[in-house]
Amino acid sequence: MLAYEYIKCSNLQEALELLESNELVYPLAGGTDLFVGMRGGKFAPKKLLDIKNLNDLKVLAEDEQGITLGAAVTLNDIAEFAPVKKYIPILASGCRSVGSYMIRNRATLAGNICNASPAADTSAPLYCLNAVVNLVGPGGDRTIPVNEFFTGPGKNALKKGELVRSVTIPKPYPSGNGVYFKASRTGSVDLATVGVAVQSWGDQVKIAIGAVAPTPVRAISVEKEINENGEKDWAKAAALVKNDISPITDLRGSREYRYHIVEVLVRRGLEQTMGV
Amino acid sequence: MTELKCVGTTVARKDAIEKVTGAAEYIEDRFLGPLLYLKMKKSTVAHGKIKKLDISRALEYPGVKTVLTGKDYKSKIGLYLVDRDFIAIDKVRYWGEPVALVVAVSEKIAAEAVELIDVEYEELPGVFDPFEALKPDAPIIHENLGSYEVVPIFYPQEGTNIANHFKLRKGDTDQGFAEADLIIEKEYYVPQMQHVPIETHKAAAHWSPDGKLTVWSTAQSPNVVRQLLAKSFELPMHKIRVISSFIGGGFGGKAGAGLEGLVVPVAQKFPGYVARIVLNREEDMQGTFTRQAMYATLKTGVKINGKITALEYKMIWDGGAYTEYGVNIVRSAGYSSTGAYEIPNVKTDSYCVYTNNSIGGPVRGFGMCEMQWGIERHMEYIAKELKMDPLEIRLINGMKNGSTTAAGQVVEDVDFKKCIETVADQIKWGKKEPGSNGKLRGKGISGLVKCPAQPSNASSSAIIRINEDGTAHIMVGATEMGQGMLTAMSQIASEILHIPVEKIDIKVPDTDFTPYEWQSVGSRITYTCGTSVKRAAEDALGQIYRAASDLLQVPQEELTFDGKMIYSTKDANKKATIAEVADSCKKCTGEGIAGPIIGRGSFIPSNMTNLDPETGQGNPGMFYCFGATGAEVEVDPETGVVTVLQLASSIDAGKAVNPQLCKCQLHGGTIMGLSTALYEEVKFDKGVMLNRNFTDYKISSIDNTPHIDSFIIETPETKGPFGVRGIGEQPMIGVAPAIANAVSDALGVEFNTFPLTPERVWKTLHEKK
Amino acid sequence: MAECVKISFTVNGEQETRDAAVGQTLLSFIRDELHLTGTKSGCEIGECGACTVLLNGKPVNSCLVLAVELDGKDLVTIEAIAKDGKLDKIQQSFIDHAAFQCGYCTPGMIISTKALLERKENPTDDDINEALSGNLCRCGAYQEIRAAVKDAAKK
Repeated sequence: MLAYEYIKCSNLQEALELLESNELVYPLAGGTDLFVGMRGGKFAPKKLLDIKNLNDLKVLAEDEQGITLGAAVTLNDIAEFAPVKKYIPILASGCRSVGSYMIRNRATLAGNICNASPAADTSAPLYCLNAVVNLVGPGGDRTIPVNEFFTGPGKNALKKGELVRSVTIPKPYPSGNGVYFKASRTGSVDLATVGVAVQSWGDQVKIAIGAVAPTPVRAISVEKEINENGEKDWAKAAALVKNDISPITDLRGSREYRYHIVEVLVRRGLEQTMGV
Repeated sequence: MTELKCVGTTVARKDAIEKVTGAAEYIEDRFLGPLLYLKMKKSTVAHGKIKKLDISRALEYPGVKTVLTGKDYKSKIGLYLVDRDFIAIDKVRYWGEPVALVVAVSEKIAAEAVELIDVEYEELPGVFDPFEALKPDAPIIHENLGSYEVVPIFYPQEGTNIANHFKLRKGDTDQGFAEADLIIEKEYYVPQMQHVPIETHKAAAHWSPDGKLTVWSTAQSPNVVRQLLAKSFELPMHKIRVISSFIGGGFGGKAGAGLEGLVVPVAQKFPGYVARIVLNREEDMQGTFTRQAMYATLKTGVKINGKITALEYKMIWDGGAYTEYGVNIVRSAGYSSTGAYEIPNVKTDSYCVYTNNSIGGPVRGFGMCEMQWGIERHMEYIAKELKMDPLEIRLINGMKNGSTTAAGQVVEDVDFKKCIETVADQIKWGKKEPGSNGKLRGKGISGLVKCPAQPSNASSSAIIRINEDGTAHIMVGATEMGQGMLTAMSQIASEILHIPVEKIDIKVPDTDFTPYEWQSVGSRITYTCGTSVKRAAEDALGQIYRAASDLLQVPQEELTFDGKMIYSTKDANKKATIAEVADSCKKCTGEGIAGPIIGRGSFIPSNMTNLDPETGQGNPGMFYCFGATGAEVEVDPETGVVTVLQLASSIDAGKAVNPQLCKCQLHGGTIMGLSTALYEEVKFDKGVMLNRNFTDYKISSIDNTPHIDSFIIETPETKGPFGVRGIGEQPMIGVAPAIANAVSDALGVEFNTFPLTPERVWKTLHEKK
Repeated sequence: MAECVKISFTVNGEQETRDAAVGQTLLSFIRDELHLTGTKSGCEIGECGACTVLLNGKPVNSCLVLAVELDGKDLVTIEAIAKDGKLDKIQQSFIDHAAFQCGYCTPGMIISTKALLERKENPTDDDINEALSGNLCRCGAYQEIRAAVKDAAKK
């Protein structure tokens, strides 16, 4: 690991200015992906900007816009936030699936999506909740839908000098149940072999899946069959999911198993959220 | 037998307070003094010649003291077969093999300097599976195999990749198969796994100007380390001091010697410094012992009444790049190759084969988990073909007192029947439970047995010193890696001496002070070291009585000792305190009678013999510890996820010195077995270990560990101290087969390998359809 | 060479000011600078939990925190769990139930347990699972650990 400079930012402006530097500068929130990556040679920043102290990034609020989760808020804090538990429990599920309790005391939602693993456990729930990512940078503030934020394995839509300010789950909140199923090797602290989020929106459904494509994806074919064609045979609808995913074989599972397990979990998700 | 007061009771662990307060010292905490930090440059090819090794840039890096290469080490190392270089010389045989060693003033500088070493390899064709290695035209991994020093009970074959071929021929298998009504032949495969103790391997060395070498190490066996270093570095043993500490998990991975030899030349080059090496998790996983993969063919002949008449077992083991220890696992599996069952005609061939995978070596079970996977899965096939109850098949063939093992050794003091019936009862064997919500339930059982794998003359000793105030010190060569050795030995001494456990001090080894113990491996210590401690305590007690007899003018036979007072059983007024007797016993007129009490005890097995090189017949077992595992599972056929509903484990401990700690070992071994049954598999790709950290190699955690019902059976081991036999490894052996048998029962499909990951379970079921 | 930063923090109830090298982990700082060797290194990537400490009262993997991030914070390690020579009820419970073997994971396990019992007086099995699933015990003392945690909660 090469030498780097550590800067504890005291205000957002300072952070943004430093992010514009020509050198490789990384914002540091929880560090639970960043430090592992730095140790393994994946990341080699010249400067680390500790952003945990920035009040702008510590927002954890529910208001008429929706629920806003600041970039420096930890996964445990998000999972315990009363409005999250009440209105969007699928996100609490996703958050609680990341790593261990200790990891979640440091790791942030922003970090989870910026790291942009296609298997990120918060991603599929966020996709089902119409979440938007609020960015701040040299050009000011901008907001993009979460599904546009993930651009490839380990790649996100941040432009040079930009920082995630927060993630907002806008109103209206879903009216029905949501589930996040994580298939893994151990059923305990593990990366997702696949992650399936199914969120009921009354008679409409949103389904998103992680670890089956370069980014998390919505199961568009399945959604269409249900939302537009009124399909209520969940098995039949779930069978279409193979059109929406392109899994690979890796240490955690084979392509073949991933195709299979996604279909099973989508069907079960529909059974549990869209009524039997 | 008189009622025992301490042995057989639960007392708090001797190391309890240290461990719960963080005060317990592990070896890294003892690396004190002017330190030098060592980091290895590791090979990036699995098989290759070192064409160019340029250490010049590293040597110039500020803070680097020196860089060692293979030529700085004068000899090879090896416990059973001396085939390993400390640092590769001219050739590397596994990915990650050390090719240079940087010595620097900080860990950081050492790591940076490693990057400055330039190596060029001429890659050689690699062999990554033992079948490839056995082909006549296979690349030869050890060209000089014929010249290696080898303990003469192992049979490497020069000009091949065969490091050992163990042969066993009992009875006449041709005849046995001819008598059979049914012959079943199946193949089994067990992949590599790794111990992954939470504490990785660590070692340090110090050389003083008078030529005294001090070594600190995570090694399970300081005496063997001393012996191997004495040989490799041509030093007399009294000039080598090996210091232990609490070990953060061993499981066999810290047996033998490895890192210690690496640091010695560094210490010699920089007298006065403490040269230390600490492996990180990735280095620990790919660079230290890994359990050898087993590819086996098992054929049995069985009569319609369920009696097995013949067994033919061919085991091919992936020994990895160096088999200095692995050759013995292959032998042990060979001589134990009927598992818990008595079979009159046996033909076993067990081969240790070199490959360019990671180094194979000892892991808890020492070949039993792998070999008995085959046996216990095979019993299921037999039961199914004969339409008999799998429990019944095991009872029909199970060993009893007077049975002979594969090696022809007669077993005594055993009750396998009780072990297996206990777990069968616990899981309500025979009662099939319906699954719920589309899930399928099944039950499975497995027998198990193991004897300690050790040389026939593996000895042990203990010294007990009685202090003037009646407290005592025990000195042993056994190590404490969590199994509870310190506590058990204290209890044994306490039982004999009547000195309470709280008044007994016992330390982990320091070879300058502690007496010889072969190795803390093989589930042997409570038996061997326990015997030595018992004898040392008896010796000390005898000295106490002799001195008191003289002092009190009372015959020795009349005396008794309650830990504080020695008094006559005939006249309670004739008494003396231990203080009066223990250190400087003198008459009332002033003449000295006897000096300090130093009890001495030693033990060497006398019931083990050599094995015939052609037939493998002989007595390889100091004792046989039987047990059984029972499991009930619920399987989700759509996802392949296995949920363990019940897990029952029994072990015949002979006598549990400390019932609570005995159960801890039983639980611990069962959990490790479960972890391998469901999750663990080392994955190689052309010799590169792909899953070499805890993100990619998963082990059991508290939330996926079911409750275990544990049973300590006590069929006394006549020759063991208080009837004790050792149990550290045994609980692990039966778990993978019991789980697989249960999943098989649930789903109606068969498994010839494990772990039973959700994907493997689903795939097996899916393929059947 | 590594730059040093002055940090002020409390550790086990004591106020301290030290130099921390940028790039040094909190784990390394605790062991090598503060000489508190109860906290252990097992994997360096936040998977095994042997390095668990309380940072501002919350259990974290100290291998994934920088020493410099300790500035202005409160650190509690295993050494502070026993008070005035008296074992904490959790420690006594671990002893009573033999909830450890080699002891290497134990400091982390006890820290995680301490944090659990501070946030949940009567932890359920699910609570225990969530709190301790990140503390690996290769010796397999989980059954004893669960019993010890439940027992300590009752006291």
